[in-house]
Parts: sequence; C-alpha cells; structure tokens
Amino acid sequence: MDWFVFLALLQDGITTGAIYLLLAIGLLIVFSVTRVIFVPQGDLLAFGTLTVAALQSGRLPGTLWLLDGVSVLALLASLFQGRRAAMRGLLAWGLYPAAVTAAALLLAPRELPAVSILLALAIVTPMGPLIWRFAFRPVAGASVLALLILSMALHFVLIGLGLVFFGPEEASAPPITDASFDLGSLNVSGQTLAVLASCGVLVLGLRWFFGATIHGKALRAAASDRLGARLVGIDAGATGALAFGLASFIAALAGVLIGAITPLSYDAGFDIGLKGFVAAIMGGLVSYPMAAAGAVLVGVLESLSSFWASAYREVIVFTLLIPVLVWLSLRSGSPEDRA
Amino acid sequence: MKARLFAAVMAMGMLGATAAAQAQIKIGAILSISGPGAAMGVGYKGAFDFFPKEIAGQKVEYIIRDDATDASTGYTIAQKMISEDHIDAFIGPSLTATDAAVAPLANQAHVPMIAMAPYEYDPTKQPYTFNDAQPLPLMVAEVFKYMQQHGVKTIGYIGFSDGWGDQVLAGTKQAAAADDMKILADERYARTDTSVEAQALKLISVHPQAIMMGNSATPAALPVVALRHLGYKGGIYGNHGIVSPAFIKVGGGAVSGVIADTSPLVVYTQLPDSNPIKAVASTFMKEYTAKFGPQSVNPFAGYSYDAMLLLQGAIPAALKVAKPGTEQFRRALRDALEKTHGLVGVSGVYDMSPTNHNGQDSRAAVLVEVKDGAWRAIQ
Amino acid sequence: MSRIAPPSGLVRPSAIAAAGVEAPPLPASGAGLRPGHGARSLRRCIAPLAAAALIALVPAILPAFYVTLLGYVGMATLVALGLVLLTGISGQTSFGQASFVGLAAYATTVLTKFVDAPPLAGLAAGLVLTGAVAWLLGLVTARLSGHFLALVSVAWGISFFALFGTIPQLHGFSGIGNIPPLRLGPLSAASPRVNLAVIWAAVAIVMAMSASLLDSRLGRAIRTLNGARLMGASVGIDTVRLSRTVFVIAALYAAIAGFLFAHFQRFVSPTPFSLGASIDYLFMVIIGGAGSLWGAPVGAALVVVLRDQFNDWIPRITGQAGDFESLVFALAVIVLLQRAPDGLLALLARFRRRSAPHIEPDAGAPPETPPAAAATPGEELLSLDAISRNFGGLAANRDVSFSVHAAEIVALIGPNGAGKTTLFNVISGVLPPDSGSIRLFGAAAKRLSPRRVAAMGLARTFQHVKLLPGRSVLENVALGAHLSGRAGLLRCMLRLDRAEEARLLSAARTQAERAGLGGMLHVPAGDLPLGQQRVVEIARALCVRPRLLLLDEPAAGLRLPEKQRLAALLRHLRAEGIGVLLVEHDMDFVMQLADRVVVMDFGQKIAEGPPDRVQSDPAVMEAYLGGVA
Repeated sequence: MDWFVFLALLQDGITTGAIYLLLAIGLLIVFSVTRVIFVPQGDLLAFGTLTVAALQSGRLPGTLWLLDGVSVLALLASLFQGRRAAMRGLLAWGLYPAAVTAAALLLAPRELPAVSILLALAIVTPMGPLIWRFAFRPVAGASVLALLILSMALHFVLIGLGLVFFGPEEASAPPITDASFDLGSLNVSGQTLAVLASCGVLVLGLRWFFGATIHGKALRAAASDRLGARLVGIDAGATGALAFGLASFIAALAGVLIGAITPLSYDAGFDIGLKGFVAAIMGGLVSYPMAAAGAVLVGVLESLSSFWASAYREVIVFTLLIPVLVWLSLRSGSPEDRA
Repeated sequence: MKARLFAAVMAMGMLGATAAAQAQIKIGAILSISGPGAAMGVGYKGAFDFFPKEIAGQKVEYIIRDDATDASTGYTIAQKMISEDHIDAFIGPSLTATDAAVAPLANQAHVPMIAMAPYEYDPTKQPYTFNDAQPLPLMVAEVFKYMQQHGVKTIGYIGFSDGWGDQVLAGTKQAAAADDMKILADERYARTDTSVEAQALKLISVHPQAIMMGNSATPAALPVVALRHLGYKGGIYGNHGIVSPAFIKVGGGAVSGVIADTSPLVVYTQLPDSNPIKAVASTFMKEYTAKFGPQSVNPFAGYSYDAMLLLQGAIPAALKVAKPGTEQFRRALRDALEKTHGLVGVSGVYDMSPTNHNGQDSRAAVLVEVKDGAWRAIQ
Repeated sequence: MSRIAPPSGLVRPSAIAAAGVEAPPLPASGAGLRPGHGARSLRRCIAPLAAAALIALVPAILPAFYVTLLGYVGMATLVALGLVLLTGISGQTSFGQASFVGLAAYATTVLTKFVDAPPLAGLAAGLVLTGAVAWLLGLVTARLSGHFLALVSVAWGISFFALFGTIPQLHGFSGIGNIPPLRLGPLSAASPRVNLAVIWAAVAIVMAMSASLLDSRLGRAIRTLNGARLMGASVGIDTVRLSRTVFVIAALYAAIAGFLFAHFQRFVSPTPFSLGASIDYLFMVIIGGAGSLWGAPVGAALVVVLRDQFNDWIPRITGQAGDFESLVFALAVIVLLQRAPDGLLALLARFRRRSAPHIEPDAGAPPETPPAAAATPGEELLSLDAISRNFGGLAANRDVSFSVHAAEIVALIGPNGAGKTTLFNVISGVLPPDSGSIRLFGAAAKRLSPRRVAAMGLARTFQHVKLLPGRSVLENVALGAHLSGRAGLLRCMLRLDRAEEARLLSAARTQAERAGLGGMLHVPAGDLPLGQQRVVEIARALCVRPRLLLLDEPAAGLRLPEKQRLAALLRHLRAEGIGVLLVEHDMDFVMQLADRVVVMDFGQKIAEGPPDRVQSDPAVMEAYLGGVA
C-alpha cells in the first residue's frame, strides 16, 4: 500500500471517526446523567438525514407529524402537573412544534439547503426529550440493564416508524459545500472539512456549556452524583430532558453532515450508532478524551480493515471490543452487590 | 403444562377459523418489501395493482408477503403459503437467496414457482421451478460483448459479499474467459455498508481498464461515487440489477456514463416499433406510470407482470384438467407453463422447454447508459 | 467438648425455652410427613404423564402449519429456558444467545450435509463446539459486572453473525438447504410431526432438569449470583465458577435448539442468528417473566404466535407489508417494562398463593453434617497483627492487633466510621490488608478468598443484611450448609440429590429453630422485619458449622425478648467452643455478654480488656463522649 492510499484511507477513517465521536459524546452525556445507554441515537441520526432529504425534495417529512403528535401528548400530560409545568408545557410542546410546523409548511417548497438543514435539526432535536419523557423517565430508577433492554426495544420502534415515514429507499442530505481541493495528491472534500469543523465547534461549545452556564453545571452535578444534585434542588427530570436533547441534537447534526457523504436508509443508523457506542465504551463510558481516541481508532481501523479484509471488517471491529470491555470492567472493580 | 394447553387450544381455534376453500385460484407472492432489497421490492409489488382479478372465468387472489430481504423469513412464509393458504402457484420470490431456499420446498409440494431473480437451477431436477428474470450469464455476456467491442482487456470487479456478488462474478469470469479478458481484482462489500473507499482504492491500485460491478439497487451507486471521487477515469459497467431511477438519484452526477443492460421494459419508449415487446410494454406502462408517476419505470415490475402473463397463458389449459386448489391442477399448470411458446412479455419473449425454464434469448437484453440524468438505450 | 446435637428433630433448644418463648410444636414423631404429602406426590406423577401424552398426541392432529409454528415455539422455549437461568435467576444478561444457536446449527449442518455423518454426531459436535466457545467466553465474562457483560454479549453476537455471513464454506446469506432430517438408525424424523414430538420431548426434559437444578443446593447457590455474590462467597460458594457454569448451561440449551432447528427447517442462513434474534429471545423472557421457568414457554409462545398473526393481519389493515410487527412488539415490551417488569407470569402470580418448597425436611433422620473440629479450650482461632488498610488517603484500619480464642466472645465497639466493618472485611477475605498479618485457625491467612475462609470454618453476617428476599427463611438458612453438600451439577439436574437435600434442609431447620425462627420457616425472608432478617443471617452462619463467628451488629432492630434469646444463643455457642467476634452498638448487650472488649476509633485500637475495665477507660470515654465530664 502506498502513501497516497494510506492517506486516503486515513481521511476516510478520520471523517467517519468524527461522526463516531459526535455520537459517543451524545451517548456519554446521556449515560452519565441518566444511566441510559442510548442505543436509538443512531436511528435519530438516520432520521436527521432522511428528514432533511425529504424537505429538500419539497415534501413534508413524517418526522414532523411524529413530533406534532407526541408533543400533543406531552402537552396534555404537563397540563395535569400544576401551573408552572403547564406554562412550560405550552411553550415547549405547544408553541414550538406549531412554529416549526408552520415554518416547514411555508418554507419546505422552496427547497433551500440551509433552511432544510435548520428545519431538520429543529424537528429531530425535540425527539430526545420526548423519548426521555415517555420511555425512560417513568422507570428512571431501574437498573442499567433494564434501561438497556428498554433502549433496544425503542430502537425497534424507531426503525418501524422510519420505514413507515421514509420508505425503504436511501436518501442523501444536501452537502454544506460542494467545494473540494487538493492537498498534494490527496483530494480533500469540503464536506469532510465541514464534518471536522462541526465536530470541533460542538466539542468547544459543549465545554463552554458545561463549564460556564448554570444549566451545564447542573448537568455535570447530576452526572456526578444524582442524589446529591436532587438534594440541592436540581430537577432530575429536567436534567434528563436536557441530556437527551443534547444527544438528539448531536445525532440530527451528525445525520445531516454524514448524509451528504453517504446515502442512508431508515435502518442504516443503527450500525453507525453502534460504532459510536464502541467509541464511547473505549472511554469507559466516563471519559471524553478517551472516547475521542476510541472514535478515531474505530474509524481508522474500520477503514484499514475494509482495505485489507473487507469481508471480515465487522468481525474485526467487534471482536476487538471484547478485550477492551473486559479490561474496563476489571478496572472498575468486582461485581457490585445490590445494597 | 398450562402453556402447552394454551397453545394447543389456540391452535384448534385458529383451525376452526380457517376460511372454507372456494373455487378460486390463489397465487402467492414473496417479495422483498423491507430491508436492503426493498427498493426493488417496491417495483415488484407495484405491478400487482394492475393484475387481472379474474382469469378464464376464475377469481384470482394474490397473497403478497414480505421476506424482509431474508431467505429464512421467505422460507417460513413459503411453508405457510403452501400448507395453510394452499396456493396454486408462486410468483417470485424476488430475491435470489429466497429462491434458493424456497425452490426445494415448491418442488417437493408440487407448486409451480416463477422465480423473479437470477437463480441457478436445473429444470430437469426442479421441474416446478421457472424463472422470468434473464439468466445472469446472458445479461453479463451482452455487456461484455460491448466491452470487447471497445477494446477492454483488463477489468476489476466489485460486488456484494453475498450470493448475488458471487453469481455475477461467476458470470463475469465466464464472459471474461470467452472474450479473452483478465480480471485483476475482486473486491466485496456488504449491502448495508456506508463507505467503500477502501475497496475502491484497492481497485484503482491495480489499474484496470474497466470496472464490472456485481451489485444492485441503490447500494450499487456507492462504489461508482467512490471510484469517481478518487479519480478513476475508466468505464464502469454494471449488471441489470442496477438499472433503476433510484440508482441515478442517489448517485447524482457521478454515475453519468455507467453502462449496463436491462429489460426492454425500462426503455420501452426508445424501442423500435417493429419490436413486439414495445406494444405490450406500452399497455402496461400506461397504467403503471399513471399511478406511480413517469419516473417509476423499472425492470422489477416487468418481472412480476411477465410472471402474471405466463400464468395467464397457462391457466386455461390447466383448468381443463382439474379444479384450482388440487394437486392435479398444479401439475397441469406446470405442464402448460413448460409448453409456453412465443409469449411476448415486457422483459423478453418466452420459449419454454423441458430443459429451459427461462425461455429468453438476446431479445431480453437492451444495452443502456446513464445519460442526461436517465437511463438511455444505446443505439 | 460436647455439643448440642439433637438426636432427632424433636428436642427443643433449652435456651429458647428458658427465655420464655415457645417454639412451635413439631410434627408427630419420626414420620416427617405433612398432611397432603400423599396428594402432592400423586399430582407430581400426573404432570410428566400428561406431558408425555400431549407430546405424543398433539403433533398428530394439528394442521401442518401449526406443526411448524409449534416447532418454532418449542425451539425458542429451549433458548428462553437458558435465558431464564442466566438472566432471571443468576443475573447475567446476554444479548448473544442466538450466536450459540447458530454455532450448533452450522456445526450439525456441516457434519450431516457435507460429511454425511449421522445427526447424533452433529448434535455432539454442536454441543462440544458451543460448550467450548461458551466456556472460553465465560472465562472472560464471569468476572464482568452488569452492563459490561451485556455489552460484551452484544459484541460477540455481532461478531459471530458477521462470521457466519463471511466464511465461504457456510455459503453466507444464500444459506444452506437440503439438510438431512433427524434420524436414529432406521427411525427417521423426516416428517415434521415426528420432529415436533422430538422438539417438545426435548423441551420437557430440559425443563424438568432445570426445575430440579433450581430446587437443589446448587439452585440456591445460583440465586446468590444475582446481587448477593458476597454473601454467596461467605458461605463457600465459588461464585465465579458457578457463573460460568450457568453461562455454559444456557449456551448448551441454545445449542440443542440450534441442532433441532437445522434438522427441522432443513435450511440455515445467518439471519436467524443475528443480534435481532438474540434480542427477540430476551423479549420472550421479559414478556413471559424471567423469574420463573414457565416464563420461557409462555413468552416464546406469545412472541412466535403473535408475530405470525401480525404478519398476516397488519398488511391487510394497512395495505403495506413492513416491519410493523417489530414495532408493535417493541412497544409491548416497553409498556411491560414500565408496568410489569417481572413479566406476565408474575402479574398472574399475584393472584395465586405462593407455594412451599418441594422437599420436606426429613425430621426423622439426624442431620448428618460433618462435625466442627473439636476445639481445644483457649485455642487461638484468630490473630491480627498490625493490620492496616487504606482507601485512597483514608486510613480505615491502622495497626490493629488483637486475637480471638475458642469459647470466648469478643466485642468490637467504637463510634461510627471507626473501621469495624472494614476490619471484618479484611478478616473474612473480602479485602486484602495493606500491611500486617492474619493467622486464622493457626494458618497464615492474608490473601485468602472469602470462600476459602468459609471452608476453613469462619462464618459471618453483614451490616447490611444480604438475603434472598424472595425465598423462604428455610432456604436462606440452608445456604449456609452449602459446603456440607457434595451434589454436583448432574446429580442436581437428575434429581439424584434428594437424600442429601433432605439432610441439608433438616440441618438448616435445626439451626433456624435454634435461632428462634421455627415458626416462620416458610415465610419469604424479605417479609420479615429487619431485626428478624439479621437472625436469619445468624442461623445461616450457624449452618456453616463455624469455629469462628463474625457478627456485624446482630442485635440491631431486635426487641428486648429477642435480644435476650440472641444473647442466650451466643452463650450456648461459646459453651460449644465456638469463638465469637461481634460488632455492636448496644452497650448493655455487649457488656453483659462479652468476655473481652476491643475499642476502635479512627481506625486504631484504643483499648482492650474486660468490659468493666474498658468502660472506665479514659481514652474510651473521650472517644465516645468527647472527654471526661
């Protein structure tokens, strides 16, 4: 293999690695605050791609109606929970979806990429808090395992909905930029740079958010000690919703970005989510820098094994996960007894 | 204890609820409506909307089920159709792997089956298996003829890592040997893969004059995009499984110039009027495009339609021998199918015999190229 | 040294009588039978006969497709049974069971189709291959906790699925068809109906074996794997090895299913062995209920039959075929997880009475537990020399030295946070000391595991009670007798352990009555008030036939008469030559009972001596009260 090939593979690997990193971050945020291993995040990524593709062809995506429908349920639920909750509910689950729907009705026919992308983000992001509200919050105290099984079940729900809304065909997202330029003999696409840039901006943005804003600090508090956070008045339900909201925003963004490079179908998100999840595991489900390293490693490993032994790629990536998991588990101590 | 009783009682109840048999013809269709093969499945299924509800005075019921692009699922569905629904014939399966799974079943139960995907079988050992999808070697040979005419001597191959990829490779090797060409590389990828950069790089590194693809539907666009993105300038050829509008939509500008061959149906408007297929295709497509739009023309609907035409031609003879729902009827149906001669379909003209249950010749293949955002016949 | 060993179950421990609390009347002499025993054993014979009759008759009369459907239900039940044992009972979640099904299916396919071997050879190959892979994986997973284990199972599930699809000899996704049918010599099971009978016969056998296993000494031990491993180790259970054993058993059940599947459907491709299939099995167990073996067939039947029905009806309703039944199922699972996390059977069980364990303790036969080694008076049982243990910067134990002898009660007291429980953990092998040495029964004991320590004769109770709350008091106490039993896996599964089991339960009953629990032997331990639960722990510890007993706050939560009974029991044990080291906060209790008192504060020993001397020690008063008044 010559240098050119290696660089091309590296570029490919780093681009996919950046997407895996984004997903890993989302997974880590959700897990640390709610102990949910958010498997369906990959499906939300596919939703992002398919939603923006639908908008770009002038159609209204099924996800919009899903948002409206479930928002109504959330609104009704909040009306029974006291005035403050009702006010918040009206804003979040009444006004917001209505505004998004109106915007979609008006602007979708114009088929402008920037608008479609923003609308897609606006539609898919609230799915996170809604999933939290109806699927996980009722059993928030359950064991990690029970929550994981719930996650898996939810994945099938989203897949089924995806097939109904978008059909079986693949679709592409509009590229942020069509530009590409040459770095020596290597051709670097503008979209790749967009992916890396977005990743960088998001990471920095999250650092600022967690470090400097009160909501971010509340999230960190809830992540490090849930009971303690509740004792000082941090609302467990709200932090959970925020965590899921961040994760679904990240997933939607990742979908919009990667969808321009690779057409995705309704069931292609799971695989991507799984690899992002591998990256998060490499960080022990606690460490962001390790997850970043893991993400790049997975991306590059995948790329290289595609080249050398394309049929066995999946086997290699997932078998390598086992020793990592074992090492992590042994490091975190012997099996705990239930108190 | 309780569970077994429960299951047994439920089973009895369902037995009682089974509808009484009527004098009607039942045709079972196993199509890939979900999963990776779904893009083709949409086409296969769409044709059923225009099938006659009555043939030779008998009502016809079409039972359509989804095998989710999986042979095991298809197998289970086939079992149920044979023993529960008592179908008289199969249209499909539409997936090669499912064909392989279902064919032994159909032959054992003496149910005629018109497979709709390229599938290798021996008509003398499987007398109940028929196939209206053009044999792969036939289609590949036509493409290779074109390649040879244009001076191609070395090729690289990229295909699915499953049975289809294997089949096309076998046809490729056959044609390459016949036309004195060398295969320099053999790369594979899974239908659900999202990136084939590595495989494309590998192909380019051996510098083939042309690339032959063994894939189908929208995942086929991926290697083309990758190859062009990496700067490959040689010709890219595909098999008939890639010819669909979705391929162009997903591939965008990169797939311009890809050459494959396809059923006459796909470019029916560009056929000469002297071609008998044009008339049949026009009738069918008039209704089809009226419902699904002008962009919806695809070869897969054509296979379904041809299967229906074949059965429509054979059923009157079978009815003379026995009633539908009986084994004698199915046997007579099979015999009548085997005697089909000169039936003009939309994917070709069919001449069956005891040793040839496909019945197509080179009239079934038309060379096409992606030009100006659509598939155009090469004159 | 004499010890109170009741010659039959009829003797009431005199200490309890002296405390003025009546023990419940024991059944009439010798017979060991309870009313209704005869009726129950008749009922027990009916079940297998009825099962055999159903298995023989039902396949003959069902329509062909339902034969196929029930076949799938049966095979799924086998896998689900393994999952019940693995996930429901022993607490190890696996998202990779379908891989084991696949391994065996492909093994038998390759052997019977390509090598022309008889199907039994295929079965053997499948079992051996799957067992070996599971054993290897088990080496890795037996030490993994909770969700890490689940994630590893996801990893191998995907890995094997990819492997099945890529190894060229296995024909990938085109699958391998025309697999020969089951046959045994001249008998052939080519007919699906005969095959169905074979499948359900296998289910019946596996289910009976599993039930026997759960009903036995090993069954009790397996239950401790689910969140009470520390307690299991403290009575001598080899938790790591047992976890692996259960894991392999579950894999072997799946392998049997895989073998049957290959010869029933006679077509294999990778898809039935994917991650989705593994998740399906888990769903079956969740819907049916993971806590009971019956959850397996119920869940399997519901899932398989409903999926088939959905496949039929939903396209007719929506006009579209698609992934709808997955969607509906997943929604059902979500609702179940939120409302009835123990599955449907558990929901129904709330309306049924709980049943007593199947074996009656044999009150006639003497308990044949190996006698504790006769202790010489004054023998040093435990000796600590400069034990230190740190946690990060915190010195939990600092240079602690003292000893405990036979026939003495030593009390370990001190304010909260003094390091007493840490010291217990060090002594009982849960934590290794950072420095210092321990001698236990005369032998160096610094790096011994809790299990080893229990085998040597040390038993303990825990500060936070560790019981199996859903099981009866008798079964919990019987856990202590684990090391007294010898029945291995096969004997337990084949019900050859009944005599030994009767003896174990009888011994447990004795100890339970000794501790004053005679009236509540069959009450679920979790239903008792906390103080009584501690007494259950003590009875369990006694079953270990210890020479040294470590009690962590045994009197907490007890009322005065109960404390008196406990004190009397401890005095009795001392008279038998057992050494007792106890942590307590109740000063009256301690001072009247203890021979010696050791006082700890901030990890160090600050005083030691007879109770009255320690009580007036200025250092002690400073630690407790902040200074002499």
